[in-house]
Amino acid sequence: MQKKPVTLTVNTDTYDLLIEPRKTLLATLRDVIGLTGTKEGCSTGDCGACTVIVDGKAVTSCMMLGVSANGKEITTVEGLASRDQLHPIQQAFMDKGGYQCGFCTPGFIVASKAYLDENPNATEAEIRHALGNNICRCTGYTKIIEAVMSAAEVMRNS
Amino acid sequence: MSEYAVLGKSVPRVDALDKVTGAAQYGGDVHLPGMLHGKFVRSKHAHAKILNIDTSEAENLPGVRAIITQDDVESGRRVFATDKVLYLGEPIAAVAATDPDIAEEAADLIKIDYEVLPAVQDVMEAIQPDAPRLHSDDTKDGSARRTLKADLRKLERDDSQDHSAQIAELNAQLEALEDEVYYNISAETHSAAGDVEQGFAESDLVVEDTYVIPRVHQTYMEPHVSVADVESTGKVTVWASTQGPFAIRSGIAGTLGIPLNQINVIPTTMGGGFGGRFGVALTHVPAVLLSQKTGRPVKIQMTREEEFTDGRPAPGCVIKLKTGVKNDGTILAREGLAFWDSGSVSGASIGSTIRLRGVYKFPHLKVDAYGVYTNKSGTAAYRAPGTPQVAFAGESQLDDIARKLNLDPVEFRLKNMRVEGDPVPAGAKEPKVGYKETLQAVADAVDWKNRTKGPNQGWGVAIGDWTNGCGPGGMFVSIHEDGSARIFHGSIDITGTDTALAQIVAEILTLPYESVAITRGDTDSAPYATGSGGSVVTFTMGNTAKLAAEDTRRRLLELAAERLNTDVESLELKDGEVSTIVGDPPKSIGFGELAAYSLSTTGGPIVGKGSFARKPSTPALAAQIAKVEIDPETGRIKVLKMASSQDVGFAINPMAVEGQIEGGTVQGYAWATMEEMQYNENGNVNPGFVDYRVPTTADLPTVESVIVEVEAPEGPFGAKGVGEPPITPTLATMANAVADAVGIRITELPMKPEKVVDALHSNGK
Repeated sequence: MQKKPVTLTVNTDTYDLLIEPRKTLLATLRDVIGLTGTKEGCSTGDCGACTVIVDGKAVTSCMMLGVSANGKEITTVEGLASRDQLHPIQQAFMDKGGYQCGFCTPGFIVASKAYLDENPNATEAEIRHALGNNICRCTGYTKIIEAVMSAAEVMRNS
Repeated sequence: MSEYAVLGKSVPRVDALDKVTGAAQYGGDVHLPGMLHGKFVRSKHAHAKILNIDTSEAENLPGVRAIITQDDVESGRRVFATDKVLYLGEPIAAVAATDPDIAEEAADLIKIDYEVLPAVQDVMEAIQPDAPRLHSDDTKDGSARRTLKADLRKLERDDSQDHSAQIAELNAQLEALEDEVYYNISAETHSAAGDVEQGFAESDLVVEDTYVIPRVHQTYMEPHVSVADVESTGKVTVWASTQGPFAIRSGIAGTLGIPLNQINVIPTTMGGGFGGRFGVALTHVPAVLLSQKTGRPVKIQMTREEEFTDGRPAPGCVIKLKTGVKNDGTILAREGLAFWDSGSVSGASIGSTIRLRGVYKFPHLKVDAYGVYTNKSGTAAYRAPGTPQVAFAGESQLDDIARKLNLDPVEFRLKNMRVEGDPVPAGAKEPKVGYKETLQAVADAVDWKNRTKGPNQGWGVAIGDWTNGCGPGGMFVSIHEDGSARIFHGSIDITGTDTALAQIVAEILTLPYESVAITRGDTDSAPYATGSGGSVVTFTMGNTAKLAAEDTRRRLLELAAERLNTDVESLELKDGEVSTIVGDPPKSIGFGELAAYSLSTTGGPIVGKGSFARKPSTPALAAQIAKVEIDPETGRIKVLKMASSQDVGFAINPMAVEGQIEGGTVQGYAWATMEEMQYNENGNVNPGFVDYRVPTTADLPTVESVIVEVEAPEGPFGAKGVGEPPITPTLATMANAVADAVGIRITELPMKPEKVVDALHSNGK
């Protein structure tokens, strides 16, 4: 299949790539660039494990083609922490036990970041609604919600 | 428990940083140079003869490196279907190509000719004589025929007199019971205590119902995946996301006839398992076969759709249940007959049917269970395998009985619960147990006695019991020259167990938690460890860790005694040093100094060893109370409150324990209200998250977990296995709450809105 040139900015690094038009953004991130923090749970856009931020919006990267992301800015879970400090959402997931097997965790953290950036004063009900596109099978969500609520508070106060 | 420095504390997990940063390496994250990608060719029918397999077009597709069928399996063990497919999605061939999309394209180009056969999906249809048959030699007798045949055998063996008349009579009775011959039976199990007929005769109230529980998928978030690399020497390396690397190693060895020392299984971080991630069949063996054929590493990753059609989910079942009680609420007898949907192979969790006895006294009990072949994929364990299903039946029926006798459902259960020393029906005597404490704890948590409810609201209570498994494990603990410690072992972290092991070792060695690191080896390097299933890890590996840490302590004391010119008895471990217990002046020496010293001793470096196999486990109870509200127009069940208590023996890490309780409870809630793998004549029809709904953050409120600690005598520091019990009561908890809210008893799960509306209508509401 004829490959197409694509330029992506991922976590502030720019990549000039040649990819097949059938490759999803998820496959491009994982298999071409080698950023495997973003996970593939369903390939149909229903579980949210592959959530990344594209130009400020949360996107399930299995539902977007790599070529469609040409010229866009993408943030993955690898781009959240600085060299010496976790993002407050990552810190909160750690402290509150908001993960177990961890497979859905990058998607939850990235989706939470996209939402809290948009609505820093979110209520529990709003957060529960906003994260309804992400599936976690281990936690029963209690500690995930606790983590996002507490991260929101930290982010508001910083 | 303030007596401990590290145990009983909610320390962050050892893998926390890797998991929140995306650094943790799961099976799918393994990428090797030159790696090929495998895809399956799967059956398009639920039951069909395979007439021809034509791979020619696929072979010519650029990028295709190998295509394999059962002909390529030299050992002859069934990996692919050959003559006949038994379910939609059964693998017939596999392709390896340079790119996953090319492999998929090639799989689509392989042409299979079928002769479609009638299929059977419903267990009650499958046991009928006119049902399509999956295998030969599959008939079994029901209970009455079994009794008659046993009587016949007795008479035939007795030569003392002529029994021919009686024998003829019994044979006639046998013939009259033709409808008690069950077909498509994969397995059976029977147990009894007392005399149920007598029990029912003495009962004031006898209730009989049939319960139907659907097949559900474990729905671990990481689909099955493996990467296999076979070297030219024949040495096999498999990167596997699995609950049991040693089981995978022996599974590959047994299936393909490869010696154990030629197989190394490297376990990756595991994206959930819940019992469904033990088998070798799905991806591991096919990946090895493709790598053997191509000489290149091969990755096979299942899609979510493949998980639904060819995963090994939890079996559904039909349970006929009869319970007899006295008017004062004394339970006398229970008889259960269960038909488990084992799919196309045997293996459903039929052994758990005995848990219909719950934790109640039941002087009279009879339980018969059959596994039934249907045209579906086989099944596997799912969190307390078999128990949520039978607890749904048992606890729903008890709830109806309490209502009929006007008894408080909590008091009714407490009255009949077994305590230490009581005989377990068809079992041994109860050890020290916390059944009553656990139910009482959840009742107290919701202020049960003072509960109130509005219109269309209801409260439901139910319990479920489970006993953690136990298995072999080995472990080493080393002390480094800076005084820090490292654990080396081979058991898979199943959501927090590595953390519990580090806490145990830190506690015994008086080290800060942060000074204990933990490393998991592969099967070439690590000592054997039992698989991480059956709530086994904290119990087994916790005991192993205790032994390894104690062995390390022994060596530290010996070395310190040498260095301090004293004897071992006058020394103790304290804050990462060995100190004299009494002495003026007190003397002490750090672990680091001892570790450095040990390198030049004849005894050598400090390596403590723990090796453990078996100790008696202690049963644990989970008890739950839910408050729900039903929308009579839409049938939607809204959970207003969900409290979940569990006897965990001792909570080594309370935050991790709560996480297990919360997660298990929500899985049970989902089984009760939304999850169901649906099948028609041609197989599974809802292989994705749009049609197979699992709960999200929007579905239910915070789960209130209540930790109860009734010490397990043989558990490490009193701990019991924690992972499985919390799912066991929830199916019934939810059904009982719905019954209390709107007066309808739903006996067939899941309680989807349309089912609730139908039930309301048929009840004239």
